[in-house]
Amino acid sequence: MTDIAIDHVPGKRSIPFVQEGLGALTIIALGAVGCFLFPDDLALLTRLIGISFLVLSLDLVTGYCGIATLGHAAQFGVAAYAVGIACVRGVTDPVALLAIGIVAGTLMGLISGALIARFRGLPQLVLSIAVGQLVAALANKLQWLTGGSDGLSGILPGKVFGIYSFDMYSRTAFLFSLATLVVVFVALSRFVRSPFGLLCRGIKDDDLRAKMIGVAVYPRLVIMYGVAGAVAGVGGALTAISTGVVGLDSVGFERSAEVLVMLVLGGAGHLWGALAGALIFQIFEHIVSAANPFHWMTLVGLLLILIVVFAPRGLIEPVLMLVRRRAGKGRPS
Amino acid sequence: MNERAKSILTLAILGLMTGTASADVIKVGVIGTMSGPYALFGANYKMGIDAWVAEHGNKVGSHEIEFIYRDEEGPNPAKSKALAQELIVKDKVQYLAGIYFTPNAMAIAPLLEESKTPLVVLNAATSSIVEKSPYIVRTSFTMWQNTVPAANIAFKNGARKVAIAVSDYGPGIDAEAAFKKTFEADGGAVVEAIRIPLNTTDFSPIMQRIKSSGADTIFTFLPAGPPALGFIKAYVDNGLKADGVKLMSTGDVVTEIDLPGIGDSAIGMLSTYHYALSHNSPENKAFLASIVKNGGKIEDVAMTGVAAYDGARVIYKMIEATDGQRDPEKAIATVKGMKWISPRGPVSIDPETRHIRQNVYLRTVTKVDGKLINKEGDTVFLDQPDWALSKQ
Repeated sequence: MTDIAIDHVPGKRSIPFVQEGLGALTIIALGAVGCFLFPDDLALLTRLIGISFLVLSLDLVTGYCGIATLGHAAQFGVAAYAVGIACVRGVTDPVALLAIGIVAGTLMGLISGALIARFRGLPQLVLSIAVGQLVAALANKLQWLTGGSDGLSGILPGKVFGIYSFDMYSRTAFLFSLATLVVVFVALSRFVRSPFGLLCRGIKDDDLRAKMIGVAVYPRLVIMYGVAGAVAGVGGALTAISTGVVGLDSVGFERSAEVLVMLVLGGAGHLWGALAGALIFQIFEHIVSAANPFHWMTLVGLLLILIVVFAPRGLIEPVLMLVRRRAGKGRPS
Repeated sequence: MNERAKSILTLAILGLMTGTASADVIKVGVIGTMSGPYALFGANYKMGIDAWVAEHGNKVGSHEIEFIYRDEEGPNPAKSKALAQELIVKDKVQYLAGIYFTPNAMAIAPLLEESKTPLVVLNAATSSIVEKSPYIVRTSFTMWQNTVPAANIAFKNGARKVAIAVSDYGPGIDAEAAFKKTFEADGGAVVEAIRIPLNTTDFSPIMQRIKSSGADTIFTFLPAGPPALGFIKAYVDNGLKADGVKLMSTGDVVTEIDLPGIGDSAIGMLSTYHYALSHNSPENKAFLASIVKNGGKIEDVAMTGVAAYDGARVIYKMIEATDGQRDPEKAIATVKGMKWISPRGPVSIDPETRHIRQNVYLRTVTKVDGKLINKEGDTVFLDQPDWALSKQ
């Protein structure tokens, strides 16, 4: 992991914002491909982007800070419910709803971070599950507010900027989500290479050493959790806006476990890994489940086993190795 | 989109519609739980529809009918909505059917009017679903529909003090509300109402509470499977059965699929439900025979199979009435008030609510030839509406 940190030494960044710009362009290009090649699948792509935010968010705490968590859907779900409740009560502007989602996600992130970051290892994992379950139980219990297991329905967001309404083909929802993804991704790729982000990597590699050089570990982890919460909140908000219903699944354990699988598949500790994992897993799942709705899970299991056997550090690792080898020729490392 | 573009689009759509009317494969998208813990119920959709198609052919007039299956997996509204959108936009289905979970149905409802697609709900049992869109018809049941008769018969059979114990989630809470309201209106008293968390495994404390409440009857709703099994076992082990406290539920707790697992301790248990596998009618025998003929197993038949069989009938009727055109108003108007004899008995679509009206039977778990069945007795509640929606 240390060699990656070396890749990001500020001195190497000769032209500012090049990496961010390239990232944004790549996402826009991918989005355009999706939009023009699969105009009938925008609903799927929108859902996929919503989950991608959660995987990115999980990457921030698990990939960059080494916090093991199986309760990450809490941030996503709380934001989705907050957005849903606000929308049902009359706040229909999508941008305002997005803001509500971010605030709710951040708050939930700070709360869970304050609890979970206190521990390391197994207790941390157990605590993360407990926090997730607590939120899920509350969502079920507060039926008057959340609709319980029937779900919170009747979320009808207004037009984006007062112009583009959400339609059956999900065009608006897709473009809205894609634009948000570009903004968030650029901000995040900047953020993870900031001194704060690098410090978090340091904490992940060796928290004792970090403490020794005078880093206040705990508050940093909590802040990181808050940022991750905001990102998850964006995903929750977009999902609530585009689906119109928030169900218990959005806070459920399965959701948390599923995104962890996606992250591992793509490669933890890289934003591109998180994004690639989310896209590849969900597209593969979609294709096989449409081809055989009765036995597709077997195929998904097989894919996971193959990837874990042949690319244990995620699909992004072989790609990065290639890139690094090329770059490595130019300079001694 | 400006007015001109709109009118061109409308023309194009009209052109497409008249074009497809004779070209002629009418697609029906079926969304159900095809994998995971609820896979059996999704498989039942296919079994029921296959049985209907085997009996009535895959053609209505000159129109060939094609069913496309998609996996709803679990309660996941975002996924179900995306699936429905894909079926409508990409596969160009004219009808949607299926849906096991309530939130999934809620997510799909807003799409129906815009796309002019009727949806026949084959399970999701929360009353309010049919109110979410005028294009929804339901051929399954609701909790209220099956629970109100349970409360009536409990009172009639002499129960005065009832303890209600339900799982703490949507359908359980529905069942509690329906039973309490009806039973108290009849003049009985609910002495204890317990909501059991979903992952409870130890039911002894609950039985103790019921025992000390002095109830003469327990009414329960739990998801079929391990919880139902544990609950009934605790009921026997804690001596409530021996003390003569009666146990009642809706049929969801003692489905034929789960009865072998629950075992002999279930014998004598009362339940109210709209369909028993052992329902004695020529229609049911024919239905089960055609399931077997299509490679299905009788042990696997669940209520969703019958709902799908009847749902296919409703869809065929709609296609017949509209002659394959996309005309949801006409399709829905045709099936309002539609009456037929289902494998579960005589049924009709309530013209007010678009929910199915049907008989609800009082059954007793009985052992016949070494097999546990839900034996329907003489007590039948005829032509029951969804009590939460209907004012009658």
